[in-house]
Formats: sequence, structure tokens, C-alpha cells
Amino acid sequence: MNEELWSGLIALLIRILLMLFAWIAFSVGLYKVLRKLNVKRAGTAWIPGFRYFSFGKALGRPVEGIFAGLLEVLYFVLSLIPEPDNERLTLVRALLLLIVVITLYIYRIRLFLRMIEVFGKKARWILLWLAAEWLAMLIFGFSKKLQPALSILGEEQSGEEPSSGLETGRAPAHLAASGLSVNLRARTVRDYGKKRYLLKDINVEIPNGSLVMLLGGSGAGKTTFINAVIGYEKADTTILLNGADVYADYQNLKYRIGFVPQQNLMRGNDTVQDTVRDSAEMRLPTGIKRKERNERVREVLGQLGLLAGDRGLVCKKSGGQLRRIAIAQELVADPELFVLDEPDSGLDGAIAREIFTKLRAIADTGKIVIVITHTPDRVVDLFDRVIILAKDSDRIGRLAFYGTPQEARAFFERDTMEDIVVSVNRAEEGGEGLADHFVEKYAALTAVREGGAA
Amino acid sequence: MEKTLKYRGRLAQTRIYLGKFLRMFVFQNDWKALPAGAVIAAVVTFVVGTNLFVTQEGTINGAFALTCGCIWNGFFNSIQVVCRERDIIKREHRSGLHITSYIAAHMIYQLILCLAQTVVTLVICFLAKVQFPEVGLITRWSVLDMGITLLLITFAADMMALMISSLVRTATTAMKTMPFMLIFQLVFSGAFFELSGFAQKITYLTVSKWGMESICSIGRFNEQPMVTFWNTLYQLRNAEIDGMKPVQIYVNTVFQNNQLNDVLRWSGQQNQKLAYASDPQLVLQHWGVLLLIAFAAALVSVIALEWIDRDKR
Repeated sequence: MNEELWSGLIALLIRILLMLFAWIAFSVGLYKVLRKLNVKRAGTAWIPGFRYFSFGKALGRPVEGIFAGLLEVLYFVLSLIPEPDNERLTLVRALLLLIVVITLYIYRIRLFLRMIEVFGKKARWILLWLAAEWLAMLIFGFSKKLQPALSILGEEQSGEEPSSGLETGRAPAHLAASGLSVNLRARTVRDYGKKRYLLKDINVEIPNGSLVMLLGGSGAGKTTFINAVIGYEKADTTILLNGADVYADYQNLKYRIGFVPQQNLMRGNDTVQDTVRDSAEMRLPTGIKRKERNERVREVLGQLGLLAGDRGLVCKKSGGQLRRIAIAQELVADPELFVLDEPDSGLDGAIAREIFTKLRAIADTGKIVIVITHTPDRVVDLFDRVIILAKDSDRIGRLAFYGTPQEARAFFERDTMEDIVVSVNRAEEGGEGLADHFVEKYAALTAVREGGAA
Repeated sequence: MEKTLKYRGRLAQTRIYLGKFLRMFVFQNDWKALPAGAVIAAVVTFVVGTNLFVTQEGTINGAFALTCGCIWNGFFNSIQVVCRERDIIKREHRSGLHITSYIAAHMIYQLILCLAQTVVTLVICFLAKVQFPEVGLITRWSVLDMGITLLLITFAADMMALMISSLVRTATTAMKTMPFMLIFQLVFSGAFFELSGFAQKITYLTVSKWGMESICSIGRFNEQPMVTFWNTLYQLRNAEIDGMKPVQIYVNTVFQNNQLNDVLRWSGQQNQKLAYASDPQLVLQHWGVLLLIAFAAALVSVIALEWIDRDKR
């Protein structure tokens, strides 16, 4: 009996020691990995739960880190609950433990796969991790040959408030009573409780009757800027449309702003005429009589070359016609500000040009038309002004230029709009990485202009 | 001072969208729901039509099959209607669409569609010579009572599917969810599986339970003969006890005295179910619950879609 007890105790002791060893080895390995990833508080590797927060964050996978951390804590809590006498409760506890362990395992695999990716190694390293995770972690932590190949921490810190921000365009001393005045101080989001800047210090004044091109590399914040301007996503900004505050009176002003998204968002199984007519009824004031409304629908359909075949189904129309229907849906409301996100997306040159010509005509009626496009040079001659956004070294979208296309060419010392975009794009995105330079240069230019004006 | 302009309110928007949906009924092939409903009704009446409202077994099987058919129709009517145009709704919402109007228009449109399906089902029942009770419980005509019940079952299921369609983001997810919803309705109808405790309480949330109970009440389940008892006896007629065949003797006596109908009626009287009582109050209560389910599902749809602006770009 005594022998049995002793052997049982020894087996238990060995088991505990092995578990302790694996836990310590894993923690030491993780500590070293966190150090390699430049995590300041690498000591968190020893704190159950919290260590995965740091690990996930350092790998640029904060969500996985948070889930793994919470699941580890939950696993500890469930393990500490003594086995109940009740058979049903035992089953529930076992089931919960099983679910937690499986989920935790999956999140850990995700994190480890990400670590392999960050260290530039092949995915088969996961096999070692599956066999003995502590050993894998020790190897990654201590091996001098294994070093992070991607700079994750730099990416992760992107968009935080810069300690020494660039000197950028200051807010205009006055806001115009006509046209569109944008004084965007900041557009921020909260990422896991941390404030992150998407856009900062963008000030432009656009006169009525302007056709404006909005340019910028991928992720520069063009759509974010547009959404802030039209009041759809709120920012720390003052937007005046012909003297009216868009944010203060959004419920009324949203009817005076037309936005055409990148995709053709309309019901294919309705006729062109009815689609536009419904939009007119929804968006025009109730005071307008049915006859006037129908005339307006016909006028817009005619303006956009959609009268022929307006009884046909939307789904039967070509790509160019679909874009024009999308434009007609907004234009029929006679908006003062008209914003289009890539109206030429997926269209060939001739059809795209035709659409931009129509937009030019719309702007000539006194409206402000802002267009995002990725193929600017084929239509730039139609535009009055160009806004160029660039992502600076802190990965915040900023104003790199606002002026006429000719002024833009001179300012950037480039011949084409596409070359200008390339110049402000980040090097890893195939650009020249000159965003900071041009943002500062433009800020200096506006300061001189304002000084001169004063 | 600038005059504040007025734009279309909720009622006007509901009218605009209802018009849109009705137009699209033809173009979008929604009309195919009608022949599909007819096929389902035909299959159901072909299988269970003969004994529907004739015997208790026939009534309960038929009621279950009809309920399932209606739920199926309702689910398929609207399981994809919202999720497949989610991006469009998001766009329209940002330009002033009231979600309540959008859902209200769907409710009216779907009600019309459900009504058409109900009429088709009843026509098929007539063609299959289903014998409806002579007198109705709520109205003078039992067919009308039955029609209202079938309509409410279909509509409640339709609204539940609309709710799913509003909660999920893609048509694929909606279609994956549907079988679970169907199985849930069938298992928790309480008709064929003995449920107790919490499981029994879940049945209160199902369209199938209230629908079946209404059909059985209107079909006068408790007044019908039961054949299971007699069929079992008949199968056991050759069983010997102490060298005798007492069941055979009883069966022969019944036949000789021409008492079969009395036995069937007597066994039916022994199988009275409170839930299927032919009580107008009970049926009205069931109809109310079905309507409540439909409106609750519509409310959830509105709440879910009010968050549509938070969808990722």
C-alpha cells in the first residue's frame, strides 16, 4: 500500500516537474522572442494571459493575442475549479474545458504561424511547435540565425499621434460663405482603446462649379476623407457647404450631397426609369410636384444619355451605362456637392472619358464635383483642381497638395498625375517615399501664401 | 433665414419601396414561389390528403405536413431578400431611407406573397378532395379559418427568415442557417417528439407548434375517430393466452355487431387533447401568437439593420 502511494506520488511529482519545466522553457523562449521583436515589456512573457496580449501585439495580430490571452486565463480559472460531485456538472465543466482548450490551441497556432512568417521561415516549423512548443519557442528565442524579417512594430505604431508632427497646412483664417470649405483637424479611430490618426490637418476651399480630382496612393485616406467631408463618418472638422454646416445640419444637408460609391449598388431587376424615379421621389423635397419630378427624371436621363432604353432592366445594361445610372440616381436630387468614388472603375478609356465629360458638364452648372480616380491622366484636362493626399512616415493621411493640375505638375516637378502619386507613395508600395517632403513643402507654401495675403 | 425642406416620411417611403418590390415580383422571378408552393401542397395532400380531417391520425399527420409546407414556403420567400442587397440598403440608408419603412414594405409585400401561396395551397387541397369540416370555428367557413391559419404560419415563418436575412451578412450564411431553423421548427413542434421541462418550453417559440394546434383545433381533432387502437388490436388478433384467442373473439364480436365505427369513435374520445380543443378562443390565441412572432421578428430585423452603417466598406 505504502509503495503504491509512494510510486503514485513520485509519478505526480515528475508530471508536475515536467509541466513546470515546459512552462518555464516556453516563457523563457517567449521572453527572448519578445525581446527580438523589440517589445519593451518583454517581462510580460511570465504573466499568464497577458503574455499573449504582448505576443499578439508584437506580431501585428492584436485580436488573436487578446483572444489567446483571455482563453488562457479562462483555462486557468476552469482548471482551478474542483471537480464537482454532480455528474452533470462534471460533464459541463469537461465540455467547457474542451472547448476552451481547442479554441486556445487554434489561436496559439495562428500566433505561431504568424511568428514563423515574421521570422521569414517556412510554415513547416509548425510541426516542431506541435511536437514541443517550448522547444520551438526556445529555438526561436535563442537562435541568432532566427531574426524577425518584417518590421511589425513600426507598422503597429502607425497612425499614433506623432511626437514631432510635420508642419502642415494651417486652418484658413476664414471659411468661405460659398462653395465647399473643409477644415479637417483630425479623423481618428480607436484601436483597442488607443487613439489612432487616419487623417490630419487637411484644409481646402473649393469654389462652386469646380471639378476636383482627389488623388493619393492606396491607404492614403481618400475614402476616409470623402466620408468625413460628406458627413457620413464624423471627424474633428468644420465642413461648410455654401455657408451651411454639414455636421450641424446633417439630416437636411445629406439631401444636398450626392455620393456615388465605387460599386454599382442598385437593384438589377427594376427598370432604369423606375430606379431613377424612385431615387427622385426619395430624395427630392415633398414640395416638388409629381410632374416636375418626372421632368427632372427625364432631364437627368437625357443629360446622361440614358433615355434610350430607359424601360429596360438595370441588369441588362453595360458597365458604362450602369455607372451612368448610379450617377443619375444621385444627380436627380440636384445636389450641390457631388462626390464620386472611382466612377471609371472597370471602364475602358473612351467610356471613362465620356463619363468624365458628363461630370464636367454637371460641374459647369455650378455644382462642386469631387472625383476619386486611379487613372487620372486620361481625363486630367477636364479638371479644375486636384487634391493630393499622402500617407506620411507616421502613416497618417495628410494634404500634400491642393491646386490646379498645372500647379501640381510644377510643385511636384513631375509631368503626369500618376508620377505625382508615385512620388508620394511609400517605398514598399513601389513609390518614391517623398510624402513627408511634399507635405512639408506644401505647408510652407500655404504659410507663405497666407503671409502674403495677410 | 433658410427654409427647412421636407422630405419623404416613413409612410411615403414604405409606399415607394412596396411599389418597387411589387414591380420586381415579376422581373425577379419571385412569382416562382407560387408554383413551388403548389408543388409542395400537392405532395402534401397526395400523401396525407385522404385522411386529413377524417381521423385523428390523418389530421395530426396532415396538419404537421401542411405546417411544414407553409414554413418551408415562408422561409424560402425571404431568406435572401435582405442579405443579397445589404450594400444597396446601406447606400440608401445613408441617403435618407428609414429602415422601418424598408421592413414595413417587405412585410406588406411578403404578406401578399404568402396570401397568394395560401390560396394556391387551398386550391390544391380542393383538387385533392380534402374534406374540410362543415362549420368553421371563427368564421362560418372552416376553409376560411384554415386559410387564415395557413397564411399566418407562412407569414410568421417568412418574417423569421427575414430576420435571419437581416442579421447575417451574406446569402451563403443565410442559406446555411436555414436548415437549422427548419429542423428546429420540426423537432420542437411538439407533435411527434415527447418533450418535457425546458425543451417543452422551447416549443412556445416555434411557429410549428402554434400552427399545428390551430389546424388541429379548426379540423376538430377531438371529435374525430382514432384508428391506431383498432389497428393494433387487429394485428394482435391471433395472440394466444392460455390456449385462447381473446382478441380474435373481441374483433369478431365487433364485426358481427357492426360496431367498428363505435369503437373508433370511442377510442377517439379517449384520446382528447386540450391543445387541440375546438375552442374559438384558443384558435384566436394561437393566431395572436403567430402574429406576435411575425412582428417580433420584424422588430429584430429593424434593429439589426439600423446598425448597417457599421458594416465594413
